[in-house]
Amino acid sequence: MSEDFDYIEQFLSGEERAFEALVRKYQNKVLNIVYSLIGRDRDSEDIAQEAFLKVYHSLSSFKQKCQFSTWLYRIVVNTAYDFLRKRKHLVSNDAVLEAAHTFSAGPQEELLMKEKQMLINNALTSVPFKFRAAVVLKDMEGLSYSEISRVLGCSIGTVESRIYRARQFLKVKLSRAGGDLL
Amino acid sequence: MKDCIKVQRLLSGYLDNEINSEDTSLVAGHLVICAQCQKELAELSRVKADILELMRKPLPQDYLVSRLRDDLVDERRMKERFSLAGLGNLSRRLIPVPVTVIALSIALLILSPGQYSNKSSLDEHILSGNSATQETVLGLILGTEN
Repeated sequence: MSEDFDYIEQFLSGEERAFEALVRKYQNKVLNIVYSLIGRDRDSEDIAQEAFLKVYHSLSSFKQKCQFSTWLYRIVVNTAYDFLRKRKHLVSNDAVLEAAHTFSAGPQEELLMKEKQMLINNALTSVPFKFRAAVVLKDMEGLSYSEISRVLGCSIGTVESRIYRARQFLKVKLSRAGGDLL
Repeated sequence: MKDCIKVQRLLSGYLDNEINSEDTSLVAGHLVICAQCQKELAELSRVKADILELMRKPLPQDYLVSRLRDDLVDERRMKERFSLAGLGNLSRRLIPVPVTVIALSIALLILSPGQYSNKSSLDEHILSGNSATQETVLGLILGTEN
């Protein structure tokens, strides 16, 4: 945490490299969040980049009243939300298939892995955004309910309720869709 | 059954280690004796694990940094272009001002030489010590007095 503040201080005193250190530190976390929220690999990197650009331009207004990561994740969630709102789409199967990653497994295992990811991605992107954001921040990034409440700007009770409902929704969706696969 | 409803509502928070110690004891104690709630907990754990399946492969360390550098360079270029264009517009707006002022000054010089000769006539008239009537002065200023 203090390392982040050090980078911020250095950046604000003119050291551009300090900002690059922040990007390197958080890029994979940010990409995982964005990808889980929008379900589209192709757009995830653009959204992550856009979020970091927003951070770059507004870092001087960061009050350091919360952790940098909290502030960053708030920007990331809002940027992903804006993207979905503008596009007004959820996710198509084609996009999910295209999104599947390359693994060092054999072709058969790889295919099953892709299919499984497609099912999970479909289920996750069908969860309403505010519930999805809560469960992604919890399960993907391991944030506490308190941290999530600060990122999403709601109470801890609301976070608990959103995560509970998102998991119930996903449990039903995945058990219907998955069969033996999941 | 009554306990099951309460415990199942707490299971998500229990899984995340986010419920208080009293509720944690209640859930843990109930799970020992209830297969249905154990199954529910296993299903929720699987949902949690499934989300982690979406974790991406880590990007090369400088991947986003270099994309951001390119973006920032483009942004700066755009700003410079914009500010140069702005300067161009400003100069286009400002150049006519001194030109007009100079043109008007020249026109005044050409069109009203008499005024200056009359002024010197007035000065000479006053300096000569002759008494000047109001009519004489006005005539000299307006260029009607010879």
